Amino acid sequence: MSEAYFPVGPGLGLEENFLSLDDILMSQEKLPGRAESTLPRLAFALGQGAGAGSGDSIPEGSKLEIPLWLAKGLHDSKRRIISMELPKIYKEAWRTVFSADANVVDLHKMGPYYYGFGSQLLNFDNPENPEIAQTILQTFISRFRRIMDSSQNAYNEDTSALVARLDELERALFRAGQKGLNDFQCWEKGQASQITASSLVQNYGKRKFTDMDG
Amino acid sequence: MDPAAGSGTLWAGLRRRSANGEGGRGTRRVRVRCRRGPPGCRAPGTMEPAEAEFLAEKELVTIVPNFSLDRIHLIGGDLGPFNPGLPVEVPVWLAINLKQRQKCRLIPPEWMDVEKLEEIRDQERKEDTFTPMPSPYYMELTKLLLNYASDNIPKADEIRTLVKDTWDTRIAKLRLSADSFVKQQEAHAKLDNLTLMEINTIGTFLTQALDHMYKLRTNLQPGESAQSQDF
Repeated sequence: MSEAYFPVGPGLGLEENFLSLDDILMSQEKLPGRAESTLPRLAFALGQGAGAGSGDSIPEGSKLEIPLWLAKGLHDSKRRIISMELPKIYKEAWRTVFSADANVVDLHKMGPYYYGFGSQLLNFDNPENPEIAQTILQTFISRFRRIMDSSQNAYNEDTSALVARLDELERALFRAGQKGLNDFQCWEKGQASQITASSLVQNYGKRKFTDMDG
Repeated sequence: MDPAAGSGTLWAGLRRRSANGEGGRGTRRVRVRCRRGPPGCRAPGTMEPAEAEFLAEKELVTIVPNFSLDRIHLIGGDLGPFNPGLPVEVPVWLAINLKQRQKCRLIPPEWMDVEKLEEIRDQERKEDTFTPMPSPYYMELTKLLLNYASDNIPKADEIRTLVKDTWDTRIAKLRLSADSFVKQQEAHAKLDNLTLMEINTIGTFLTQALDHMYKLRTNLQPGESAQSQDF
């Protein structure tokens, strides 16, 4: 109820939320691409390390893996600096896997920011964009049930097995569901009106009152 | 111990807050709309269970006091006069306080009875939609009355079990309707006869999920193109 800090959630649309930590971490993920023109003296930054001393240039057409923030900044249809392709989980083959049954996929392994990253990919002009957007939405909808059931029913258990296959967005939802459940159970037991020491203070190792004299 | 001695200062100063989310008695309608909330806020319209319990304590319940006192005038209204052995209606917060001080005997509300609750539970299990509950705060009242006044309520354990069964059925129905709401991607759902406690347990989760779904859905319509930077 009284929180000192309200975290800013990820912007799931075409624009990221500037202040969102999730979005910052998400934009660090790499995408495959190609250099459309020669990039002088950038081999040390973008090259794969093969034969790169500082001062080499990246030849035209070589394959690169660039983080999303850089790709978004350099993407321009008029000045062709780099061109991006889709990572494989957003391609046709994986899209059919998702539409068949999205519950079995380990979204944490596939890049822990599946939804956010996928929404950002729609920024690049790509003829498959509508299908990508539709797949992301459908995946979310089909996994919703399982998240709801597991978060609302696992009280006082080890939930690591349940969250292992969820991506970050789903984990945040899972935590919200858990919180609702825990608050209710805690209230029902009567612990809601008990005053407990804050976890921040418990580790200070304050001396107890009786130790202070003598 | 004269209860009148402290009453002038302690009770007269009490004022019941009315927080957001307080609805009228009886039907509680909930409109769940899929919309974009401001980033980083707790979902509006949900509160903690302790807050719901606070609102529930305003409900009236009958007690039989064992002291006598004239009418007391509080900011929220008058209570009163208390005569030993004569039943009087007071808010739950006062009833619990008096009971803890052993100054009264609580009479359970007429819905808190084994046959009635069995009927309610069976009705709930039969219907697909939510049936009206005898009180919009049935869960909180059950917990409060059974914790503090179980000696005044016959068959307290059975009542607790029956209420819990009804609660479980309603929560299961709520989850089912949330799931079908999301699956069919509807924009608007109307659920009658939900109580505040039920809304709170699922509220944060559901509104966050719907917010995400809304944002993902707007990706499907690439309206205005993104701003491009020209160097």
